[in-house]
Amino acid sequence: MTLVRRGHAAAFEVVYERHATAAYSLAYRMTGSRPQAEDIVQEAFLAVWRSGARYDAARGSVRTWLLGIVRHRAVDALRRSGPYERRRVDDEGLEERLPAGERTDVEAARREEAREVRAALGTLPGDQRRVVELAYFGGFSHGEIAAILREPLGTVKGRMRLGLSKLRGALAGIEAEPHA
Amino acid sequence: MTGDRCDHGLDSGAYVLGALEADERETFERHLLTCEACREEVRELRVAADALPLAPPRIAPPPELKDRIMAVVCEEAELLAAAGPQADRPEREAPAPRDPWWRRRLSLRPAVAAGLAAAGLVVGVLAGVLAGGGDGGTGAREVVAQVRPAGAAARVVLRDDRATLVVRGMPAPPANKVYEVWVQRGNAQPAPTDALFRTTRDGHASVAVPGTTKGVARIMVTAEPDGGSRTPTSQPVVIASLA
Repeated sequence: MTLVRRGHAAAFEVVYERHATAAYSLAYRMTGSRPQAEDIVQEAFLAVWRSGARYDAARGSVRTWLLGIVRHRAVDALRRSGPYERRRVDDEGLEERLPAGERTDVEAARREEAREVRAALGTLPGDQRRVVELAYFGGFSHGEIAAILREPLGTVKGRMRLGLSKLRGALAGIEAEPHA
Repeated sequence: MTGDRCDHGLDSGAYVLGALEADERETFERHLLTCEACREEVRELRVAADALPLAPPRIAPPPELKDRIMAVVCEEAELLAAAGPQADRPEREAPAPRDPWWRRRLSLRPAVAAGLAAAGLVVGVLAGVLAGGGDGGTGAREVVAQVRPAGAAARVVLRDDRATLVVRGMPAPPANKVYEVWVQRGNAQPAPTDALFRTTRDGHASVAVPGTTKGVARIMVTAEPDGGSRTPTSQPVVIASLA
């Protein structure tokens, strides 16, 4: 049984290797703080480990689950911090920072995936993209966003819905032509 | 969009982005139960929302982060291995228990508990009463609660006919969930309270249990959808027996 459990730890290490960069990138994007991002990623991975779930590193659902935990923890951290901190939701100043050792095929594919999602986001009108990013990466409610942008609540909700719908369409285009 | 056929359709984007206020979210979720058009739209928009966390520029975490996480994982794996062949059996493989969940004890095996305690982790194992408990007050007592996951601890501080639940080392509830406190009188169905809570980053929380403790046999905690539930939807993570 020791071997089995050690097998679990080894399986978990594979999960970490596969998803740590995505988790850390998201946490850093949301908080803008490396120490905070490290805390969030550590908590999220240990929550997955302690859940006792069986790990299938190839399953996309592990990543969706893990990144969901990261986002929630980051939103909690943002809500504890001041409003100034929570406004840093654009990508300015962020660059792809990966040491040479990280540039494996898997990581190259992941970076390509990130570029595709950013390209799809880039097809949205600016006002739609802004409300989607403030909500998702900034953790703001639609009421808070309406106050920040001085727009009616209905307008903000409408832009969120239109923005996501267009993003869905743009992603479907990428899926149809994965190497275009 | 499919939701255009429905007056509530406007909320679908904010819902998927987690940007509705708690009361609006509850209303919309109730609406989803009866509206196929909105359910379909939420499914479509969720595909887009699920892609958003992949968008940030990729930044590698520092190697020390992996070392820290794997050190904890390996330590806990060793402890579980030392605790015996069944210690790490996933819960869902356990045979379906016949008792309702509120009558069951948490399935923390003594051997696991011993192993964790030996490692210096604080584990609440068996319900017990510490007369004149550790908070220094007169007329106060503490009840150590059964708790999971291993490594977490919980106690109930009783003063007069009021109770305060204190948890330590408890992970945050799963995404879109909160912890909800339940009270059980006698063998009745556990009753919901409006005590909903999350934990701090350190896993701490201190929660006043609403109402009097007179006649209360147990205080329990489950993870429930945001806004709480009227009947429990998950297994308890804390059980404190007061009687």
